[in-house]
Amino acid sequence: MSRRTAVQIAVYGIVCLAILLVPTFYDDAFVLNKYSRYLVLGILAIALSLSWGYTGILNLGQATSFGLGSYCMAMGLKLRTVPVHTGSAGLPDFMVWNNVDKLPWFWEPFNSMTFAIFAGIAVPVIFAVLLGWFIFRGRVTGVYVAIITLAVLVVVNLLIIDQQRFTGGFNGITDLAQLEIFGLTFDAYGSSSYYLIAVSLTFSLFFALAITKSKAGLILQAIRDQENRVRYFGYDVATFKMFSFAVSAGIAGLAGMLYTIVMEFASPTFLGVPLSLAIVIWCAVGGRQSLLGAMLGAIVVTGMQGALSESETFLDTWTLIMGFLFVVVVLFLPKGLAGAAEMLLDRIWPSAGNGNGRANKSTSRNTLPRKTEPAE
Amino acid sequence: MSGDTSSHLVLTDVVVTFNGFQAVNGLHMTVGKGELRCLIGPNGAGKTTALDTICGQTKPASGKIMFKGKSLNKLEEHQISRAGIGRKFQVPSVFRELTVRENLQVAYCKHTGVLANAFRFGRGQEADGLEKLAELVGLQGQLNTSAGHLSHGQTQWLEIALLLAQDPELILMDEPTAGMTVQETRKTADLFNRLKGRHTLIVVEHDMSFVKEIGEVISVMHQGRMLAEGTAQQIERNQEVREAYLGSGGITGA
Ligand SMILES: Nc1ncnc2c1ncn2[C@@H]1O[C@H](COP(=O)(O)OP(=O)(O)OP(=O)(O)O)[C@@H](O)[C@H]1O
Ligand SMILES: [Mg+2]
Repeated sequence: MSRRTAVQIAVYGIVCLAILLVPTFYDDAFVLNKYSRYLVLGILAIALSLSWGYTGILNLGQATSFGLGSYCMAMGLKLRTVPVHTGSAGLPDFMVWNNVDKLPWFWEPFNSMTFAIFAGIAVPVIFAVLLGWFIFRGRVTGVYVAIITLAVLVVVNLLIIDQQRFTGGFNGITDLAQLEIFGLTFDAYGSSSYYLIAVSLTFSLFFALAITKSKAGLILQAIRDQENRVRYFGYDVATFKMFSFAVSAGIAGLAGMLYTIVMEFASPTFLGVPLSLAIVIWCAVGGRQSLLGAMLGAIVVTGMQGALSESETFLDTWTLIMGFLFVVVVLFLPKGLAGAAEMLLDRIWPSAGNGNGRANKSTSRNTLPRKTEPAE
Repeated sequence: MSGDTSSHLVLTDVVVTFNGFQAVNGLHMTVGKGELRCLIGPNGAGKTTALDTICGQTKPASGKIMFKGKSLNKLEEHQISRAGIGRKFQVPSVFRELTVRENLQVAYCKHTGVLANAFRFGRGQEADGLEKLAELVGLQGQLNTSAGHLSHGQTQWLEIALLLAQDPELILMDEPTAGMTVQETRKTADLFNRLKGRHTLIVVEHDMSFVKEIGEVISVMHQGRMLAEGTAQQIERNQEVREAYLGSGGITGA
């Protein structure tokens, strides 16, 4: 393993450890719930970093996978509640209100929580593979990918709102049971949910890191750089892109499931265009070519958003401040905060980057190549 | 052509049109196994387009392209590459955002599947080979430099090294010495002479002295057709070839 990779793993590990230790300092249920939410969005940003930052697929519909995951979890949890208002056992309340008298066939398997959790990842993955097949086999690239993914998001969103009888429509799926697995109950306002999310985040981060460090990850980056050249080395570009797209969807699906747990409902806004575009902003601010950067970008931006919108002084101006910040970062730090941090680190401690050789990579294109240190 | 080599690559009556313009117009070409074939011709003769059809970048409107007895017409680029064909582009084409080492790792493509590569981390043996390759093309000091920082000549060398890492049976080279110094050109000639025999090569070149140093058989293209084939002497004496090059400063200055 190169020294750079070792440093990177150490940094990632320290950040995850710090996140895991938060509940020992704050045991305020409300605060933990808020932080849990930020962490879930951090996982979502990791997913986009993999497809956009590493493969060059600008997926503006990342919220599709997130929403599908979230609905799968909500369906599973909904069937565990005893509807107090309707008293109609086994049938979700909104179905009763919509004159549905039998549980629809595609709801049936969600009686099993194992299936619901499995579906929360499998459904977005299968959806991504199908969509990816059309996009990438057809060699659609660049801005058209962004348009198609955004359009698909809008369609899925409308479909969910429209099929109120099966999805709860605008209201989404509310009044959910708490998740219980292995005898543990995950209360949205308890530290158990926080730990579940922190562990999932750690897992997602290192899983994505492993992919980017593998040879496949390198080929993904080559595709981002010049996909036409990659073909002449015998790699099937479409398959590699589908892989990245699908893994990204799976991670986003996991994030969606966790979001349902902390929010205690699923809503069409989880598949909203505003959320989907916000993910892009988090990645751009944090640094889309760094998994950790994108994740921290999401946590910091949403955290600031939360803090500013809650404070009295910035009540009217916080969107303006966020917008300004975003423009500044995009204009002056094309690789986001992670890129800036890496550049700084290379200056202070050049040997850290000397292992597997990205020493020069983080410096911007138009600087002169530095003298390279002799190989170890 | 020395008759003892089996024909490795055969182009029959290949036609390529761009919006009605025939860039390649009934091209025939046969290259034997292990042969180093030089392909020359004035600007716009269709040399690059001919290579494009072999590697799948452009599909011919008609005609047949056979490699090792199998048709390439219906294959996609990556399938043609897996069949054993590698290509160097006229405008050097490398991964500018990746380091030299990473470029070479990508080019080392014995395994092309997604899953086969998703579980590939250790690069021990591979790494040794890659370092030797970098040394061969004089880039051992630049292994950790991103390819976007290389000079034009170094980029040419890198792309040649990528082909060596890829190690295809048939190598297509489009103007490999453009932008190289005299010494570098000589070094390239040495390298190509060593590759000859183990690999089949088609080299598009303008520099006649370079062509003479490496090539046995030279093919001359003009206006999308094969105009002549033969040794350097035969070609230089050929009246049609002289006429084709009229106005472009003669064959040596092309
Ligand atoms: N994509 C394209 N679209 C339209 N015309 C093209 C295209 N590619 C090549 N041509 C035309 O086809 C002809 C042959 O081009 P080609 O690049 O194959 O020539 P060449 O022999 O490689 O020339 P050079 O020595 O300048 O590289 C030229 O007239 C060129 O303008
Ligand atoms: Mg050309």
